[in-house]
Amino acid sequence: MTRKLLPLLLLVSSTNLFASDRLWALKRSTLTYHVSHPLHQTDGVSHAARGKGVCHDGQCDFLIAVPVKSFDSGDSNRDLHMIQVTRGAEFPMVTVRTRLPESDANSSTIKADLDIEFSGQTAHYQQVPLEVSSQGNEKHITGTIPATLKDFKIEPPSLLTMPVKNEVPIKVDMVWAPQ
Amino acid sequence: MNRDGKKVLSVLVFTIVLFFLLASSSTWAQDARASVSGTVTDPTGKAVTGAKVTVKNVASGETSEAQTDAVGHYSIANLAAGNYEVTAVGEGIGTNSTKVTLSAGEQTVNLPLAAGSAPYPEAPNAPSSSQAAPASKTEPSLEDLGFSKAQQQGNPQQQALLDKRTHMLKIHQRMGLITTIPMIASVVTSLNSGGRSEGTASRDLHVALGALTGDLYGITAYYAIRAPKVPGTETRGGIKLHKALAWVHGTGMVLTPILGAMAFSQKNNGEKVHGIAQAHGPVAIVTAGAFGAALLSVSVKF
Repeated sequence: MTRKLLPLLLLVSSTNLFASDRLWALKRSTLTYHVSHPLHQTDGVSHAARGKGVCHDGQCDFLIAVPVKSFDSGDSNRDLHMIQVTRGAEFPMVTVRTRLPESDANSSTIKADLDIEFSGQTAHYQQVPLEVSSQGNEKHITGTIPATLKDFKIEPPSLLTMPVKNEVPIKVDMVWAPQ
Repeated sequence: MNRDGKKVLSVLVFTIVLFFLLASSSTWAQDARASVSGTVTDPTGKAVTGAKVTVKNVASGETSEAQTDAVGHYSIANLAAGNYEVTAVGEGIGTNSTKVTLSAGEQTVNLPLAAGSAPYPEAPNAPSSSQAAPASKTEPSLEDLGFSKAQQQGNPQQQALLDKRTHMLKIHQRMGLITTIPMIASVVTSLNSGGRSEGTASRDLHVALGALTGDLYGITAYYAIRAPKVPGTETRGGIKLHKALAWVHGTGMVLTPILGAMAFSQKNNGEKVHGIAQAHGPVAIVTAGAFGAALLSVSVKF
């Protein structure tokens, strides 16, 4: 009887495994934008990003979102100007979407195609390299997104009649944990 | 400086002030115009060529039209800020209508056509989305992340306030830079104006430059004081020092001409500058120094 039931039990248990989606949640993060001006360099930092990943049939869809207002450059006047020039009051969220194969969780380097919505525009970044390291069952992911002001149709702010550089790389440092 | 010279200088000062006032107002008028652009797609996500896009001002009923190009893109510029209804019609494909609030600058409104005439749900500040692959059923949403509707919702009124604030502070910045020129010149000309100097030409020039500095300083201060404030913002960073120094050079810009007038009167009477009028020079130097430090506090990182 047990021998007849065993394949059935195995089938039921494996079906349950495949039936349930695997979920990932962003535990903590540091996002840093870098702006270059001839007179000084500025970094704006946010720890307010939230993210979720849903893995289904070997593919994982990730969504990360962070409020524009959460970025802090250390100067309130500069931050307000940043919100104005990026239309952060009209479009208050930056969202990043990507789809990755579930097997990437075991790689040390992954290449992600990112869709970023910011300032009312959508920009696509292909094959952005990200480093992945494991900390227990958590995944630590770091990398730099090569964003530019032109990608989002943002007019470069200026100081003393000198504009900032078009390149605004964004460093990401995230820790994801399975839910 | 003789009477004719003073007249010329007065006219010059008036012209410069008028020029900047006009330039700033015309720039603001340009900045207050809005434009809308986007892409019209069919239900499969493919771009629609030749779709008619109409933008109607809800308040005035005024309409503007455009037709999409080969890649489904349209653009309509030079619109007054306000509430609009944007409608796209693709012949034989479908329609889409959405309500938006346009503020100064460019806004993107993409219009996916739906078969039939069902109006598009009101989403005035929804960001444009042009993902190449259709969203999967498992894709998380912003609601899944726990962001409230208030955090996701845009605020065009606050954007308009920030736009006005930035515009005025840009003028403040430019006027502040321009003010340094006659300020430095008046400090330089002060070397031959007071003390044992008996000639009046240098003194008259110093007075004229001081007056010009005062006028330009007043315009600079006006744009800083009148720029809209954003409620709930804590002042942090270099801007804190910049605002604190304003109390020093602001007070100095009031005292300096008063003391200078007293010194001028004493010199004209053939007297040596004495009493409180002697403080004109030191007060002016402190004022100029505080002004320069204020400029540096927002220009370089200390």
